[in-house]
Amino acid sequence: MDITHTRYNRVDLLTLSGRLDAASAPQFKQQVDGLFDQGRYRLVLDLAKLEYIASPGLRVLIEARKRARDLKLTDLEGGDVRIVNLPPRIKEVFDLTGFTSLFEIFDDNTAAVGSF
Amino acid sequence: MDSLIVLATLDSLELVNSFITRATAQVGLDDHAAWQVQLAVDEAVTNVIQHGYAERSPGTIDLSWQVVEDQLEIRLRDHGQYFDPQSIPAPDVTSPLEERQPGGLGFFLMQKLMDDLHFEHNPREGNLLVMLKHIPRPVEGVSLFSLSGRLDAVASQQALERPRAAIAGGIRRVLLDLSEVSFMSSSGLRALLLLRKDLLAHGGELRLCGLREHVQEVFALTGFTQVFAIHLSREDALAAFGQR
Repeated sequence: MDITHTRYNRVDLLTLSGRLDAASAPQFKQQVDGLFDQGRYRLVLDLAKLEYIASPGLRVLIEARKRARDLKLTDLEGGDVRIVNLPPRIKEVFDLTGFTSLFEIFDDNTAAVGSF
Repeated sequence: MDSLIVLATLDSLELVNSFITRATAQVGLDDHAAWQVQLAVDEAVTNVIQHGYAERSPGTIDLSWQVVEDQLEIRLRDHGQYFDPQSIPAPDVTSPLEERQPGGLGFFLMQKLMDDLHFEHNPREGNLLVMLKHIPRPVEGVSLFSLSGRLDAVASQQALERPRAAIAGGIRRVLLDLSEVSFMSSSGLRALLLLRKDLLAHGGELRLCGLREHVQEVFALTGFTQVFAIHLSREDALAAFGQR
């Protein structure tokens, strides 16, 4: 799996491509945790080029969003992990596991990044 | 059928995936079903790697597949710690984020993606997981025509007009349901033979079903029972397409 990181002023965008399975999930988790550890809690994940996701990848997603939301950036705003672009196979896994309603999902990068 | 033995480490997932990809291609599953099987097996193997064996001493995983009737059967054997996934509660996939448990999704997905799975455990042979996926029969693209009444010299020309036009238009799998045909003359039989010849010349397949006793007799007397593929029911005939 490849992860590309784009840093915006307030938001970080991670573009995932390839396979997110048990073998690659730790690398993904490390990258997300690294951002959190720097106090970067506004995260957009672009999944347009993600070909495959298995449960270890889902686990990282859910833990990331929980951790981000638990952090209060200000009194009014917590962090968040939002998702943009769901290819059909990834969407099917999201639908099966109820993830579609667990995340805010966008179909446009600008809208996703601008949503924070 | 084929089999594969891998070390229970995450590096083996790639080998397992290509093994399963070959299996699903060989049994003719479509892309979507192939992906479902791949994900389910991936989850099962990941479970064994992460929970079955102690991290420092990975054992082996034996994978094999075979076709049992109309199903792809995948068997996964390991000698790790026995764990019955059915003993943990199914994740509530409707619960909100705050209450969502991050685990348990692997087994949940296996159940959703396969048609059946079961576990066996015995101390000597270890753990066995059997996963089944239905292989759809290639009934797509079969055109069914129901003929009725008398199939004699005149009527058969009219009755076979539609199938003939369909074949001319590119249809290659034709099923003729003769259950409403009350009489068949030698001319009617000849018309069917011509239709068959035409279809075969285009690489197609003709099957007949539902012959009444009198009609069946005409086929038997003229020796054409051997020439035509004749089935009792539509279902039998549909299932037989593509199995030559």
